Amino acid sequence: MRMSIKLTTQAYCKMLLHAAKYPHCAVNGLLVAEKQKEKKKDSHSTPILCVDCIPLFHGTLALAPMLEVALTLIDTWCKENKYVIAGYYQANERTKDFRPNQVSEKVGARIAENFSEAAMIMVDSTRFTMGCYEPILAIYDHHENKWKCRDCNVDSFDDWCEAQKITSALLEGRSYESLIDFDNHLDDLRNDWTNPEINKSVLHLC
Amino acid sequence: MLRKVAKLLYFDNWNVLIIVFTEMRDKLRKWREDNHRNSEQIVDVGEELINEHASKLGDDIWIIYEQVMIAALDCSRDDLAWTCLQELKRQFPGSQRVKRLAGMRLEALEKYEDASKQYDSILQDDPTNTAARKRKISILKAQGKSAEAIRELNEYLEQFVGDQEAWHELSELYINEHDYGKAAFCLEELMMTNPHNHLYCEQYAEVKYTQGGLENLELSRKYFAQALKLNNRNMRALFGLYMSASHIAACPKVNATVKKANVKYAAWATNQINRAYQLAGRGTKENKCSVKAVEEMLESMQITMS
Repeated sequence: MRMSIKLTTQAYCKMLLHAAKYPHCAVNGLLVAEKQKEKKKDSHSTPILCVDCIPLFHGTLALAPMLEVALTLIDTWCKENKYVIAGYYQANERTKDFRPNQVSEKVGARIAENFSEAAMIMVDSTRFTMGCYEPILAIYDHHENKWKCRDCNVDSFDDWCEAQKITSALLEGRSYESLIDFDNHLDDLRNDWTNPEINKSVLHLC
Repeated sequence: MLRKVAKLLYFDNWNVLIIVFTEMRDKLRKWREDNHRNSEQIVDVGEELINEHASKLGDDIWIIYEQVMIAALDCSRDDLAWTCLQELKRQFPGSQRVKRLAGMRLEALEKYEDASKQYDSILQDDPTNTAARKRKISILKAQGKSAEAIRELNEYLEQFVGDQEAWHELSELYINEHDYGKAAFCLEELMMTNPHNHLYCEQYAEVKYTQGGLENLELSRKYFAQALKLNNRNMRALFGLYMSASHIAACPKVNATVKKANVKYAAWATNQINRAYQLAGRGTKENKCSVKAVEEMLESMQITMS
């Protein structure tokens, strides 16, 4: 049984806030996990937890240079903080379209080169509600060079109840207005893509 | 004594109300001029303005109705959109501009066929109505019919060759289809007619970079540099200059002179990037982490170049 990633509240929350901030755009971003100390032989051990999410871009996702900058910069930041880039998420421009595309597969593959259990996540905006009553993700695991969609019955959350409660609360409170993605950072370097204020809000509500 | 104080308080409240009203009206105007799509905020401010201060708005009210209606459609506030539409229909019966808004409402309700008919009726009366034609293309886009949207937009641009918004939309459609060559062509049109626009230069450079290959990389570097000349605070252009110069320098095909020149460009860009981060990170504890990460990233890339 392969170790597959699970999401914490903070990771899920920031993903959805990013999509909510730009409902008329495609958005994408990265997921990071804590670096594992040693590779455990016992594959029934705990699944990898994606503890945080770094929102990247909104609008046109199919251009290379800024994506490369972001990947390199965030990779460096990860090393500092003992994290590893473990996944990629994307919400397409059209609500009804939540299939992976060339961009998501390319970035996903790139991440999988450095992290074999990498996941590619597509956000299903058709089920996106303020109440967050159900998880709206389609999670793809990298398997023999292909992306295989995870069964939606698999529990992909560290604590779904907490994630649901907190994400809903932050959406109601319009926290997405203050969410910073890498695009915002490039517009003004003082904008912090680690989103410390939102992280604090999440912790506060836990 | 009490009555005097009460009167003063009354006047104070009135002044506050006037300030609030003018602030709201000015905010809406600014968002209109900047073409901001902050629809939730527009609905918040606009709805209150319309409900509480309609009488003070004068003729501004009509353009505000239009602005608020479009924002309301964005926020699924059909109730508010309908109200605005009725006011506009009453004031401007038979107006093509209002007809187009009615069409947009149908689009928001995903009644694409009805919307299309609405636009067709506008075009029957006025075949040069560009707004109606562009809305029809937007419908194709909303339905995921990218190839058709691209085809229609190309046809439109043959007739209306100066429509910059359309050229930009077309470049985005091509980028999403990964047809970078044609996207570049659209951006070239935009750069020709807007030589001082640093954003077009920078986007063109990004497209060339994505296309790949040594020639395109060199072009991208030139246009990132040009964007910087037009606006030395464009961080994307600065990063882009760094990335393209670094890649060219690291390319085994280039001769020593080219390599040396690009190493120089990359080094200059590194300096500028570090400076920009130092300036931005001044005083903020959180951003120190970013500064360090950028320094390390630039250092690690220097190694791959040599």
